[in-house]
Amino acid sequence: MNSGYFRATLGSLLIALLFLTCPAHAEPYLAVQMGLKCGQCHVNPTGGGLRTPFGDAFAQSVMPHQHLDTGADTWVGELNRFVSVGGDLRFDGEYETTPGSPSVDSFALEQARIYLNGTVIPNRLAVYVDEQVAPGGALNREAYGMYWSASHEWYLKAGQLYLPFGLRLQDQTAFIQTASGINMTTPDQGAELGWEHNAWDAQFAVSNGTAGGPEIDHGKQYSGQLIYVEPQWRLGLGLNVNDAAAGSKSALALFGGLKTGPIAWLAQAELVDDKSIPNDGGKMLATLLEANWLIARGNNLKITSEFLDPDRNVAENEQTRWSLVYELTPIQFLQLRAGVRYSDGIPQDDAEHVRLYFLEVHGFF
Amino acid sequence: MRWTGRSRGLALLALLACAGCAGNGAGLDQNGQPIGSESSGASGPLTAELQSIQANVFTPICTRCHIGASAPEGLRLDAADSYNLLVGVPSAEVPSLLRVMPGDPDESYLVLKLQGSAGIVGGQMPLGGPYLPQSTIDAIRQWITNGAPNSASMEVSSSRESARAFAIVGTAPVDGAHLSAPLRQIVVAFNHEVDASLVNDTNIALEQIDMTDTTTMQPLPIHAALATGNPSVIVILPRAALGPGAYRVSVRGTGGGGLADVDATALAGDHAFAFAVEPGP
Repeated sequence: MNSGYFRATLGSLLIALLFLTCPAHAEPYLAVQMGLKCGQCHVNPTGGGLRTPFGDAFAQSVMPHQHLDTGADTWVGELNRFVSVGGDLRFDGEYETTPGSPSVDSFALEQARIYLNGTVIPNRLAVYVDEQVAPGGALNREAYGMYWSASHEWYLKAGQLYLPFGLRLQDQTAFIQTASGINMTTPDQGAELGWEHNAWDAQFAVSNGTAGGPEIDHGKQYSGQLIYVEPQWRLGLGLNVNDAAAGSKSALALFGGLKTGPIAWLAQAELVDDKSIPNDGGKMLATLLEANWLIARGNNLKITSEFLDPDRNVAENEQTRWSLVYELTPIQFLQLRAGVRYSDGIPQDDAEHVRLYFLEVHGFF
Repeated sequence: MRWTGRSRGLALLALLACAGCAGNGAGLDQNGQPIGSESSGASGPLTAELQSIQANVFTPICTRCHIGASAPEGLRLDAADSYNLLVGVPSAEVPSLLRVMPGDPDESYLVLKLQGSAGIVGGQMPLGGPYLPQSTIDAIRQWITNGAPNSASMEVSSSRESARAFAIVGTAPVDGAHLSAPLRQIVVAFNHEVDASLVNDTNIALEQIDMTDTTTMQPLPIHAALATGNPSVIVILPRAALGPGAYRVSVRGTGGGGLADVDATALAGDHAFAFAVEPGP
């Protein structure tokens, strides 16, 4: 490993960070706080997974409450000029109550993921793998090849990939993630064309539409989004159409972000029409509104309100969910999260009245 | 605009006000459907029967994700599809295990996923929790131990279903499908239980279509049998996994010895469906 190379790279990145007034981490709100696109901190231009050297440098220099300096080389994810690695591990202690059921307290390894990126032609051609290694057996999330144009305005990737559609949240159980069915647990096999030009960002993907399962018909899934990113705000429009034998499904999302002082706001509203659900019962509305208050360096308070109308043809069946999460990043690459999730729904269904209290250790590199 | 502490507080209060309210459930059943509507069904207490499991678990909990075109792993758990896609069907994540192995809950991938057992791929279900209480899992285990009977369709069959002609209700792959190689099994689902003695390579045929002359068919050796514990489904296993090419499956109902149900009602006509297997990823 060339430590001089690392020091030079890190030095450049830290200098760049000094000119930025707000931090960037690995969730959409962090991009809003920074006023940057997802691809600034992630290898995947649509966000999630392996961090770029910029993202790793930020995670050590700006994100934590305190930088723990051991005098050793600083990690930027690069094993050499061609190969980068990274990972995420989330371990939870949870206490959960559901009316009519015994309460449950448990420890749970939520997720351990390893990322590998091989840049076989620098700045132009890469092969990327995102593998969940625990809990349970290995499960591939993403595996694709990506080719960038010489101007770095266009790219084409093909393989198994997360679909571009709206905010890509860490919480895969959020209503806006489950209503559309497009989230980080349902990557699909296909190809994605991306375009990045000044403040504009756009992606369009064609995939099997089987959420990673085997293809069983001629129908394909089309996903796309167009985002305009300014330093203080951003606005995006997402569209997804899945033409499947079981019945077509379409989703339209309007999403955005706004920075007001130390608070980064996220919002998304999406309409879903799933024709495969009998009796025209697949017309859904899901919304999310989230405030992330950067109280002090390394200390973030996240308040999220969610709303779901699971069948717009039926009255008084709406569900809501509240989350209050405190995120402390005491040192680089280590985050502690404590939160409560409070769900509410129709009184007849106990499962819609879950209370979840959790502590989470999140390690990443 | 300058954001003072007061304005930040007001903004957060605005967030609280924007949440909207949960429905009061007036006029709805436990699944959020209008009482008396076609989709409403009184679920009652959970028992070890598919109809009860469907009403208490699959429909209200699992179909929040496992429904429609984007159902994870292609597993749809709505009332119309759950039985045919669960019982006797290999799991997508661990193909060596059936999603439901009638009579053996410990070898049923559905149970392993609900329990979060070692050996599963991906997370415990329901993803992100709340996980099912042990009493609910026990009811599902008992249903499987009992042989995983299709009680939901049995109720319907007592009235109009049994009066209908013996027919195919679904295939996997579906007619006209394009899918990736290799293909190791083909599934044909019927609306009645099939007479196992008539499931043979005379009535069930698999042929490869010659793309240079689509009128020419090359018969392929197969093993066809009823799905384990699911006598309404025939599983066709090619002797060798199907590689890239075009294929046709024929099911014969006419003529002497044609396919029939257990009541000796012959399949209404001959049927065929074709699909293409493309090179794998």
